[in-house]
Amino acid sequence: MKRREFVFRGCAGLAALHPALAWPGRWRSSTASPWLLVPMDDAQTDHLKAYGLAYRALKRGVRAEWFLNYRSGAFLLPSDTATSRDAALAGVTVEPTDEGQLVEIRGQVQGGNMDAVPLEKPPKVAVYAPPNAPPWDDAVTMALNYAGIDFEKIWDGEVLAQKLRTYDWLHLHHEDFTGQYSKFFLNYAGAPWLLDMVERNRAMARSQGFPSVPAEKQAVAVAIANFVERGGFLFAMCTATETLDLALAADGVDIAASYADGTPMDPNASAKMKWNRALAFHNAQLELSPTIPVYSDIDGHQVNSPDRRQPLGSFSLFNFSAKIDPVATMLVQNHRQVIPDFYGLTTSFTRKTLKSSVTVLAEEPGAPWVKYIHGEHGQGTWTFFGGHDPEDPQHQIGDAPTDLSLHPHSPGYRLILNNVLFPAAKKKELKT
Amino acid sequence: MRVFGRYIMSLGLLVPATLGAQQQGITRALDLERRGDYAAAAQAYRAVLSTRPADATALLGLERSLLPLNRSGEMLPVIRAALAAAPTSSAVHGIALRTWAAADQPDSIRSIAERWARIAPTDETPYREWGAAELARQNRPGARVAYLRGRARLGRPDALAAELAQLALADGDYPAALREWLLAVRKLPGYRATAVTTLGQAPERARADLLRSLADEPDLTARRIEAELRAYWGDPLGALRVLTPALPADRTQAIAVLRGLLDQLRGLQTSEAKQAQGRVLEALADRSPALQASRLRLEAAQAYSAAGDRGSARRMLGGLADDRAAPPAISSGAAATLVEVLISEGRLEEAQKRLAESRPTVPADEYDLLRRRLVMAWIRAGDLARADSAVAADSSVAGLALNGRIRLYRGDIKGAVERFKAAGPYTGDRVEATQRTGLLALLQPLEADSLPELGRALLQLEQGDTAQATAALEHLASQLPPSHGGAELNLLAGHLMAATGRPADAERLLRVAATREAPGTAPAAELALAELLISNRRPGDAVDVLEHLILTYPQSALVPQARRKLDEARGAVPKT
Repeated sequence: MKRREFVFRGCAGLAALHPALAWPGRWRSSTASPWLLVPMDDAQTDHLKAYGLAYRALKRGVRAEWFLNYRSGAFLLPSDTATSRDAALAGVTVEPTDEGQLVEIRGQVQGGNMDAVPLEKPPKVAVYAPPNAPPWDDAVTMALNYAGIDFEKIWDGEVLAQKLRTYDWLHLHHEDFTGQYSKFFLNYAGAPWLLDMVERNRAMARSQGFPSVPAEKQAVAVAIANFVERGGFLFAMCTATETLDLALAADGVDIAASYADGTPMDPNASAKMKWNRALAFHNAQLELSPTIPVYSDIDGHQVNSPDRRQPLGSFSLFNFSAKIDPVATMLVQNHRQVIPDFYGLTTSFTRKTLKSSVTVLAEEPGAPWVKYIHGEHGQGTWTFFGGHDPEDPQHQIGDAPTDLSLHPHSPGYRLILNNVLFPAAKKKELKT
Repeated sequence: MRVFGRYIMSLGLLVPATLGAQQQGITRALDLERRGDYAAAAQAYRAVLSTRPADATALLGLERSLLPLNRSGEMLPVIRAALAAAPTSSAVHGIALRTWAAADQPDSIRSIAERWARIAPTDETPYREWGAAELARQNRPGARVAYLRGRARLGRPDALAAELAQLALADGDYPAALREWLLAVRKLPGYRATAVTTLGQAPERARADLLRSLADEPDLTARRIEAELRAYWGDPLGALRVLTPALPADRTQAIAVLRGLLDQLRGLQTSEAKQAQGRVLEALADRSPALQASRLRLEAAQAYSAAGDRGSARRMLGGLADDRAAPPAISSGAAATLVEVLISEGRLEEAQKRLAESRPTVPADEYDLLRRRLVMAWIRAGDLARADSAVAADSSVAGLALNGRIRLYRGDIKGAVERFKAAGPYTGDRVEATQRTGLLALLQPLEADSLPELGRALLQLEQGDTAQATAALEHLASQLPPSHGGAELNLLAGHLMAATGRPADAERLLRVAATREAPGTAPAAELALAELLISNRRPGDAVDVLEHLILTYPQSALVPQARRKLDEARGAVPKT
């Protein structure tokens, strides 16, 4: 569902709030408890799988509700056989709820900083990743797999062939859209995984008729921005956030080192960037050295630059008004307000480089950077989340994969999954 | 004259006072640094440097304090002043190199290193520090230039060999690393352990070439590295084969060489490694004084015994056990090892006789342990009467547990359960305790007090005849109601079938065991079935079984494990 529909189809949702009026017949169970409340506070035994439970319910064609700020973002699902069975198999805590209890809950939602958002249709999810990317090197892929949410993998060929039109939601992880192989080219020279990455990217650029990888990646970045402009939902993490914007703003400016495109980076690149083309950032200073694996001063933590590297702290989620700012409220639903930070090639976003239109969802109080941001572009929206893996704060190349069954309550991963369900929501006019 | 005398005196008073104040300044700065107040520490170090610009302690302290403040750039003017004040100080040059490296000024690094080298023309340190500064900038080619220039200037082909070896390793150039390590170890033998550990990381495909290169080198250094690398890569007997002919005639030197290999072998637990350990210990014993030799022969016997080489073990023990001149610890150790060897050879009568004879010398705990091993050996030999009489005097909980086993193999279910319960869940090591708890779970649903057929089947299992045991268990299970032992016996038989590579039979038995009539057994049977299906690449079938388990037995303690398996079968958790 595109954002424009999402905005204007909203009011009809109110009618759906009463189950007897709108829910499919099989929901009207003859049992005493026709509903299942999926608590998302500390009573929940598996927060991450709860999102999958809601997603699969939507996929079966039933409608659900997301109670924003009620019990840390509880879901209301029909107490049908399939949902009950699914919850039992997934080990997700559900609370049978009768009509009287539901009326009481709605009363609380009405009276507090809460809201009830109908969830209508499961989004069609695409994950942008090269064909050889191991599934454990991308937090979103791991979260989707663990929660049991369907997705398809796409890469440059599909993006440039306009296949993005067939998806609602697109995720980018640590892709380097400046085409410089994460600036690992010199420091990891000879490493087999790097040779493979370089060869695949060069082959892709050749097959698409581009003179270099940076040129091809820039075209991909533009196609992704167009996807958002047409109403798509974009979620990016790690270095994909920063490099996507750099690639978009570098229209006609050489920001790639000579090893990537055969010509050195323009020494005046920072001054020539066209920031009006970028989604989130402006006025950033680009890193000119090809040997320092840092792109610009957009990232506050600079993890790969020993003399600039900043220590990890914690980030706090903002509280938004659920009735006025439902989108931002959806994106920060969590059972924890303060979350330990985690590194990525891009860990955070310096405040000075944020455009004024950006909504900050989470920040490290007192620090010159923020962690989690959101904004609109054309008819669509984008959300950027810094860092690589919320449960592997010091993630290193070659680390063992994160096993999410050991982190079923991960608040960082919940933020990722909020983004996946957010396009399923149908809501009234957005104020954010 | 009097005035001059006063001047001298006042100077005499002033000098210690100034030194004392500076000493206090350093102490204060170090204290501030220790407390983590880096800004104040930096200020205090600067105060010391204002009067003594080349004070190495203050310079190093300032360097350390500025780093966490992200102000390392401030070292530049300070180090320039230090160099002007002490142009021949090695310490100042070392700090200067790091400062310019941090400031990313490669030309300055090179020039300061060259200047330092002119001051200390026979010293490797300037080039070593230059290389380290380049490495800090992640500039490996620059580091190589520094080391090679040092080698050329010093005119020593082995200069900076260890540094060049490490550099070659970082580049994955193992042949070059080996060449450099050989130079380094020949010069400083203490590098050998590092050389072996780092070269040991070489990928499998590079190892044969490295061993060939080593074989071409004629000296003992190369032989020792070759032997230790072979041991590191899992060929302990090959290690011994190359080292033995190269052992020096000098006894002390030979002992040092053998001990080096022994240290390497002690970390390995394979049978081959134990055999090699035995041979090295024997060679050491041949070169050692009598008392030490006895201890080494005992150790060699234990190693041979662990390797299954009973003949060599007995050869080592020959005489040691009966040697009245040997220290008591050695003779009792030898006696105990001899009993173990005899048990492992199946010479139980002789082992029992030796054990009885050794009772006065072997410590009580060790004696009890040997007696229990002997009981288990009698059981495995099928002589339950001898086992019974050997354990009769043992009133410990471990003895009770053994007694329970003998009852069980005789088919006395009631007696076995009573003794297992009395022994409790913690007696023996973890494997024994778990096995005993498993046996109790198997026996408790049985209604009969006596089941000789079950005893015989479990004895066959203990004796290693899994095929007969499984057939007997399956037959007995068919005669018992599922809820009264039938399901448990099918589950055990299913596990045995799976373990012996008969998945179809295992699946059949586990499906029979997974009956609702035995709700205590069915979840375990379904979980075992799912694991079998996953290992046989049938994840779809495993999903069905696991879903059935979770939905049918939601209160079972195995449900969390089943959910985890379900995720695994669906590919939702990464394989580690």
